[in-house]
Amino acid sequence: MTKPILEVKDLARYFGGVKALDGVTLEVPERGVIGLIGPNGSGKTTLFNVVTGFYVPTRGEVWYAGERIDGLNPNEVFLKGLVRTFQIPRLFPSLTVLENVLLTPPRQVGEKILVAPFRSRWEKQEKELARKAVALLKKFGLGDYVRAKVSELSAAHMKMIETIRGLITDAKVYLLDEPAAGVAYTTARELFTFIRRLRDEEGLTFFIIEHRLEVLMDFVDYVYVLHNGKLLSEGKPDEVMNDPKVIEAYIGR
Amino acid sequence: MLPSFDILGFLVSWGTFLGIYAILAISLNLEVGLTGMANFGKVAFYGIGAYLAASLSVYTVLAVYHVAAAPYTTEGIIALGKYGGANPALDLGIFAASLVLGFIIAGCVGYLLTYPTLRVGPAFLGITLLAFGELLRIFLLNYQPLGASKGLSGIPHPFLWIPDPVLRERLYVLVVLGFLAITLWFAERITNSPFGRVLKAVRDDEVAALCMGKHVPRVKATVLFIGSGMAGIAGVLLAFYMSSVNPNMFVPAVTFNIWAMVILGGMGNNKGAVVGAAIITFVDRILTFITPNLGITIITPDYIRWMIVGILIVLVLMFMPGGLVPEKPIKTPAWEAVEDLEKEPARGGDEA
Amino acid sequence: MVNMDAYQVLTAVHIALIYAVLAVPLTLSYKTTKIINFVHINFITYGAYVAVLLYVFLGIDNVFVAIVAAFVVGGIMGVMDNVAVFEPLSRRGANVVILMIASMGLWIFYKYLMYSVLDVLSRFAKANLVSVLLRFETLPRVVVGGIPITSAFLTAVVTAAALALMLYFVLERTAVGKAIRAIADNPTLAEISGIPRGRVVNVMWFMAGGMAAVGGVLWAIFAIATPEVGDTLILQVFAIAVIGGLTSLSRTALGAFIIAFAENLGMAFLNQVFGVPTSFKPFITFSTLLIVIIAFPPLGAGGGLPYRFLRKRR
Repeated sequence: MTKPILEVKDLARYFGGVKALDGVTLEVPERGVIGLIGPNGSGKTTLFNVVTGFYVPTRGEVWYAGERIDGLNPNEVFLKGLVRTFQIPRLFPSLTVLENVLLTPPRQVGEKILVAPFRSRWEKQEKELARKAVALLKKFGLGDYVRAKVSELSAAHMKMIETIRGLITDAKVYLLDEPAAGVAYTTARELFTFIRRLRDEEGLTFFIIEHRLEVLMDFVDYVYVLHNGKLLSEGKPDEVMNDPKVIEAYIGR
Repeated sequence: MLPSFDILGFLVSWGTFLGIYAILAISLNLEVGLTGMANFGKVAFYGIGAYLAASLSVYTVLAVYHVAAAPYTTEGIIALGKYGGANPALDLGIFAASLVLGFIIAGCVGYLLTYPTLRVGPAFLGITLLAFGELLRIFLLNYQPLGASKGLSGIPHPFLWIPDPVLRERLYVLVVLGFLAITLWFAERITNSPFGRVLKAVRDDEVAALCMGKHVPRVKATVLFIGSGMAGIAGVLLAFYMSSVNPNMFVPAVTFNIWAMVILGGMGNNKGAVVGAAIITFVDRILTFITPNLGITIITPDYIRWMIVGILIVLVLMFMPGGLVPEKPIKTPAWEAVEDLEKEPARGGDEA
Repeated sequence: MVNMDAYQVLTAVHIALIYAVLAVPLTLSYKTTKIINFVHINFITYGAYVAVLLYVFLGIDNVFVAIVAAFVVGGIMGVMDNVAVFEPLSRRGANVVILMIASMGLWIFYKYLMYSVLDVLSRFAKANLVSVLLRFETLPRVVVGGIPITSAFLTAVVTAAALALMLYFVLERTAVGKAIRAIADNPTLAEISGIPRGRVVNVMWFMAGGMAAVGGVLWAIFAIATPEVGDTLILQVFAIAVIGGLTSLSRTALGAFIIAFAENLGMAFLNQVFGVPTSFKPFITFSTLLIVIIAFPPLGAGGGLPYRFLRKRR
């Protein structure tokens, strides 16, 4: 397998007496589409929260592209190249679709307070980013929504935009939290086809939490199973689906 | 018989208050309307600017003319009256210095106060600033070098060297409105920029903005620096206009007055803030001019005015939440680029 | 170290009891609705003035009549605000900050309504209604071990105990009370379980408004009744609620004692050791509030970031 771009080593996170994560070690290879599954409360979202910087690990390390990133704040984690999406898409309702995408690129000079009042200083960069954003939206068939307000979008479109806006940056790894939640079966499969296409064409890496196994399993290369904060099983999708420990964990709940 | 009514005098008086309050309203709009930070302590920074101007000017004049008395004593005040208008360069210099220092110091205090309160939610930020404002006021009430409860008077008007008081006032209103114009220009510029985009994002969803790489605490502290600095300038302008300051001019009620202006005018819209300020200061000035001519009233008009302010806030929020002038979308050159692209004929490879 | 005689200690206890009666309902209303309600200030003032007006115009000097009347008035105010303003705004999707601002508008309105009404009434009463000292002797003054215990103190003790019992009974033993706690702990779950949110929240507002108003009466008979009574007390009351983490009623009551003693002991200390004038007392209160908010920030409350953003985190 290719070199891992994201690694988690003996990661633990306790909340008082509750051991949400209790020593998990896993790796996500570059250009992989990797699944993270497990019954409710097994620690999947906590894992994402620690990796993306919302929590400092109680124990263990998080490595991204050969650099240690645990302990960084969420905005710093994003700037390193990890994008995280949420179950319910968090776009900004006051802004149009284009502006939502324009918010994403880092190091925009116009965002500095001393530069902002002087249009000529940031005009060029802004126009260029706008061109890139429109091209990006068009590439994925969302060209008509450039001026749309977030409230006018369907759930599927919102999820797509939440993911592709990362493409305007150099982000390499995408952590998707239940991308298939709340959409119809066919739409979910379309979303996952879309994800694989992004991996194939853009060389991105995806680490996906998902509950809807019937959709996930056809699209991932490898799966990790969490249970009670620990890694219960891992392997290719069919191996994991037939693992008796995994079956018991899901049914037992 | 109609009471005599000096229309021009009224306009000048209204104009000055409008200018000062509109600057305050714009500063609050940047904080709460654009960035979602409910600042209930605006009056504190207003007061810092005013007291800075007051103390700088009175102490400097007395020092320059080697007067031994302290500025809050009777001899001091008499001396200030005597020397205040003597030297135009001194008066104007003090005015300019006060404005610069007022902005910087009020801004720095705002910035410093924000960092510790950032881990606390937006609603608590407001109350923390309110408590800070009250602390400051009580401190000033007891601090003799700044006049304690009587405050400082005899502040030399920057145009005191002009013998005609009416001309003085008219020149001053132009200065104040000039500052309003600058403040509005600046506010509009930063709103319609990538920075403004970040502010609205922070207002909508702080956590998401953080996840998109924005340093949310620093953004908020920056906004509070600017907002407090602007309030400081408004305070400086006030001090020179009223020629005296005392702690009771800076009570929380002033902050709530400004809130009413922003809500009425429309949260998120800088021009709306000016409109809100215009309306409320107008009502205020009309009442001040008319009341002496009304004779005995059963209820103090001031009370009725405040009741209306309170109900107005509730009604606007309930039925016209956008205010009189609703929020406008951000205008940046990005849209020009988009329009250019739309005008280009479709090239091959454009997927449907 | 600091000289505090029995009388000063008693006064501190008295103040603590009143603060508890004022702060617990604030915690209750915040906990259940997540709204920082400025009208809490008016509950206090209106409660005090129920006692004043009953006395001045009807000659009623029985403090318990005043207390019951105040409870009813405060309760009605609380429910009215919810039904007329908070509920409609929530239905339209207003967030907690907007609701707080709306409550601010209401506070201004109620405050100057009180001023106006008093303005008019003063002419009929021919008495000063803006600064009233009420001293009811409904409960007798006693002397215990050489220390005089005022009627107001006994009233405060009895009332606080009664209110505590009432709260305990309602919240622990009645269906409505349990529903209130369910909504406070987990609003979405409560909604799904079919709790009639509207009615339950109104019951909560009735209790919160009523209790705060009773606190106003207790303050009026202890210190003074002015139209600014609520305003002068609110920051202390809020500080106490924050100490209680804005969730725990018992911690709030404890916080009341901490603040009351810190204020009085602290003031006595500063006065005796540094000669600081007693007019500085509010300064101590506000500093305490600032320190409490900064030291124990209610994480995630009021819509803030749900975690600590620090510079060096490893």
